[in-house]
Amino acid sequence: MARRAPLGAVLLAVLTLGPPALEAQIPQGSSAELTAGLRVRGARLTPDPLALVRGDTVLLTIALTDREGARVRGARFAISWGSDVFNAKSIKDSVPDSYLIVGTRPGEAPFQILVQVPNDSGGFRWNPIGTATVQVDDWPLASVEIHEPRYAPYAGTTFRMTATPMTNRETEHALASIQWRSETPTVALVTPTGVVTISRPGTATLVATADDRVAARHTFQALPNPVQQLVITPRATTARTGDVVRFDVAALDRSGQRVRDLALSYAAHGLDSAGADMYEDGAFVAENPGAYKVVATAGQLGAEAVVEVIPRVKATPVELVARAGPPDVATSDLWVFEGKDGRDYAYTGTHAQGGGQRMYVWDVTEPSDIVLVDSVLVDARVVNDVKVNGDASWAIITREGASTRRNGIVVLDLTDPAHPDIIAELTDSLTAGIHNVWINGDVVYAVNDGTNAMNILDLSDPTNPRHAGRWEIRPGEENKSLHDVWADGRYAYLSYWDDGLVILDIGAGTHGGTPTAPAFVSSIAYGMGNTHTAYREGNYVFVGDEIFGCDKCVNGPRGYIHVMDVSDLDAPREVARFEVPEAGAHNIWVENGLLYIAYYQGGLRIVDVTGELRGDLYAQGRQIGWYHTAAPRDVLQPNAPLAWGPQPFKGNIFVSDMNSGLWVLHHERSERLSP
Amino acid sequence: MKKLIWSLAVCLTAVSPAAAQELAGRYWVYVANESSDLISRVRLDRNGLVEESTIPVGIMPADLDGAHGLTVSPDGRHWYVSLAHGTPYGRIWKFTTGSDRLADTATVGLFPASMAVTPDGSMLFAVNFNLHGDAVPSTVSVLFTPTMQEVTQIKTCVKPHGSRINTSGTAHYSVCVGSDQLVEISTRSLQVARILDLTPGNERVLASPAPAPVPGAERCGPTWVVPSPDDRFLYVPCNQRGLILEISATSLAVTRRFATGKGPYNADVSPDGAWLVVTLKGDQGVAIVDLRTGTETRVATTQPVTHGVVITPDSRYAFVSNEAIGATRGTVDVIDLVHKRRVASVAVQHQPGGIGFWKMDPATR
Repeated sequence: MARRAPLGAVLLAVLTLGPPALEAQIPQGSSAELTAGLRVRGARLTPDPLALVRGDTVLLTIALTDREGARVRGARFAISWGSDVFNAKSIKDSVPDSYLIVGTRPGEAPFQILVQVPNDSGGFRWNPIGTATVQVDDWPLASVEIHEPRYAPYAGTTFRMTATPMTNRETEHALASIQWRSETPTVALVTPTGVVTISRPGTATLVATADDRVAARHTFQALPNPVQQLVITPRATTARTGDVVRFDVAALDRSGQRVRDLALSYAAHGLDSAGADMYEDGAFVAENPGAYKVVATAGQLGAEAVVEVIPRVKATPVELVARAGPPDVATSDLWVFEGKDGRDYAYTGTHAQGGGQRMYVWDVTEPSDIVLVDSVLVDARVVNDVKVNGDASWAIITREGASTRRNGIVVLDLTDPAHPDIIAELTDSLTAGIHNVWINGDVVYAVNDGTNAMNILDLSDPTNPRHAGRWEIRPGEENKSLHDVWADGRYAYLSYWDDGLVILDIGAGTHGGTPTAPAFVSSIAYGMGNTHTAYREGNYVFVGDEIFGCDKCVNGPRGYIHVMDVSDLDAPREVARFEVPEAGAHNIWVENGLLYIAYYQGGLRIVDVTGELRGDLYAQGRQIGWYHTAAPRDVLQPNAPLAWGPQPFKGNIFVSDMNSGLWVLHHERSERLSP
Repeated sequence: MKKLIWSLAVCLTAVSPAAAQELAGRYWVYVANESSDLISRVRLDRNGLVEESTIPVGIMPADLDGAHGLTVSPDGRHWYVSLAHGTPYGRIWKFTTGSDRLADTATVGLFPASMAVTPDGSMLFAVNFNLHGDAVPSTVSVLFTPTMQEVTQIKTCVKPHGSRINTSGTAHYSVCVGSDQLVEISTRSLQVARILDLTPGNERVLASPAPAPVPGAERCGPTWVVPSPDDRFLYVPCNQRGLILEISATSLAVTRRFATGKGPYNADVSPDGAWLVVTLKGDQGVAIVDLRTGTETRVATTQPVTHGVVITPDSRYAFVSNEAIGATRGTVDVIDLVHKRRVASVAVQHQPGGIGFWKMDPATR
């Protein structure tokens, strides 16, 4: 819930209003102090304005004033704030009316001044009398670093310059902004944000100034444009919505030689309808069908190509094959596999509502006639995750809510997969519970709810699981949250909530990692955080959010799938997304060019992720099927989908839904593409 | 779905006829059900003990928020619940009593557990238990309740638990499950005032916090602390030794030791100072200690993993929460402190733990 300042502050504020927090417990004042508080209408601050540098401390003194601005003494007051830009400590016991203000990070944050006044029942209440602002600057701005442009400065071309403001401690300045100007506007024009256009050959000087204080110059020789001809050729003249079309653009000089370092500008024009994106790197992708004209320009020269865009294949129905309970307890994750006895099984976990103390065993050999054959009872209130190892000889279930508060993992022997036996458990250092695991051979990567580290477990002897390693971001710091891990034998992909996707080398050999001693490769975070799950196929990692309590969360969670291009693993970048507007993404599976998403209240979604991916996959019509995993009866909540996890298996799609249990669904594309 | 549940419960158990005759009024408590993310409002009257309503808390549909500790403000206008889980930090939610309407929330530290509110109601102390984290010192969060702003986090010790404030409102007490200490915080300076090492037989005041004991060392395993109503004594269950320590609040010297059953966990002292009631997590019961004589009376509870206890202002009844195991719903039992017997019980939700007394009607008898 959002916090709001008391309304009274709006009326009485002498400065600006902001979120409050009180600096210390202030016991009720004496009768005289409370009475004095009634006279207070404002305050004078020393210093005013209150500005300091990151890490510095300033003595703040507050003089309370009455309606006429005269000093009021003897009233009991406090300050209140709600930001980590600064911290405040009252030293009123030693220095009257004073606080020590410590700047903790660059930024600006308000605080509120509150005075004790009598209430109706002989006690007191806090009366807000005004707010003020603390301005915390970064370390002194010392320099500006101008980055070398990627393109040659040919006359007539346009490209972007970039620069970084630096502190005297050689860190990027958090608050300074860069303004560009040209000292030679007849040769090179530049916008304030750094978009430079070369007008004619000659010597040019561009200046990047940080906060009007520190500047750097970039002097270069603008060159005659050698290009005599531009030729643009689309690699495909017909494409579907969502298909990325690339263009071969040849810039030729007088002798017919290619000019390689030329900055090109692109634009796309819809001839029939709007709805296409044109990217700076020349990628074109349309959301709507129709003819589009793509133009590449370099100065006065231009070239055009036309791309005809047709609709993608229409979404086709997802058909129900079967559904099974349990009707009295919430269902969590699932795993579907072929057992050593040659029959097919689905294991499903159970969640808190109704008592999550079982893993259910379903025989799904005949998918239209799934049969509950057994269950495994453990001391838990959530069996969150279920995973089976590669040769289906053992499985792991994770526990939360054990009566002993020692949760950890439970290992099952699958010699008889219809009736798995508990053969071991591991709780040491895993007492909080394990939210998710991923099995890679004999190694298990486990998300430790208590430490937010990834514990690495050795199950070479599944009857005796043991710790083999541990990895975490920022060891020793507590402000982090690990939610999920997925691995492909070479790399592990950790969903680290507000720290985003973290990629580790677990044996690929590229960064020195091993399965039990991973090495950091790279990470990518994004503004909204809440990175919940990840799954790689090809050059893409599909990363899901899980967002609760947001403004749009009126009917449940939100969150979507970010598509990260990891063709350069050291520099992952977000290139596309899939977002169902009315629901929130949960677990995912990617196989043979299809992305399966358990989309909570949005049911199952199947997305075509073949080819290159850019832009808004949902708007492009890449969703090829969906199913509302809701049932009217024999469920925990009727007619309310809450899809948890998907898994394609032998031509069908298995989905667990918290409210309605285990679903077996069928889609024509899955049949064609699944093993 | 749990977030949508707001139901009148049907579970009702009768009070024994003899006990009913003596029940002149009605009593209400709130109980946090940790594995349901539901708060139960429970009423005791002549007709029995009933779960009047359940109030959903938390925001995570696919994860437990972990409603753990619960406390009611001294004026009875608000109740607070700690939601222990988070990403990573837990939260304190503030509700209005009666209407059970959410009033405000605040983010605190790792796995906030028990809480206490100052007598004037303006400040709430919540121990950041960090139950499952590494064995490093954690903190006590201090909130300004009118705006639910976290004022500070006071670093104390490994796995702080059992937040209580003395009657005069001058000191906050908690214990360190992971490092065998009792910590006193000045509610005025918001700094650690004193630390008592609880190493069995060698209890002593420390100059600074001590690290976690080495594995295998003799341990008290303190899980709770409660001051006597006159602020003279503190009572600390040594969970690992089946022992209650009575400690002078003035000198921090151990003045008495009461042997109990297995796993003494939470405790409360009756407002008249006569009874200390201790939940026995390992023995499915409560120990009622006569503080004049030190003698104990044992009363069995209806489900295992007996967790929380709160005594009514008239010193007549102890309300006790029993977690139970797995999918079995937990219970709230009412213990008659005069006759030393259980007089009512009701099933609530899953893993009830933190329990707070709201009000009695009439307010005084």
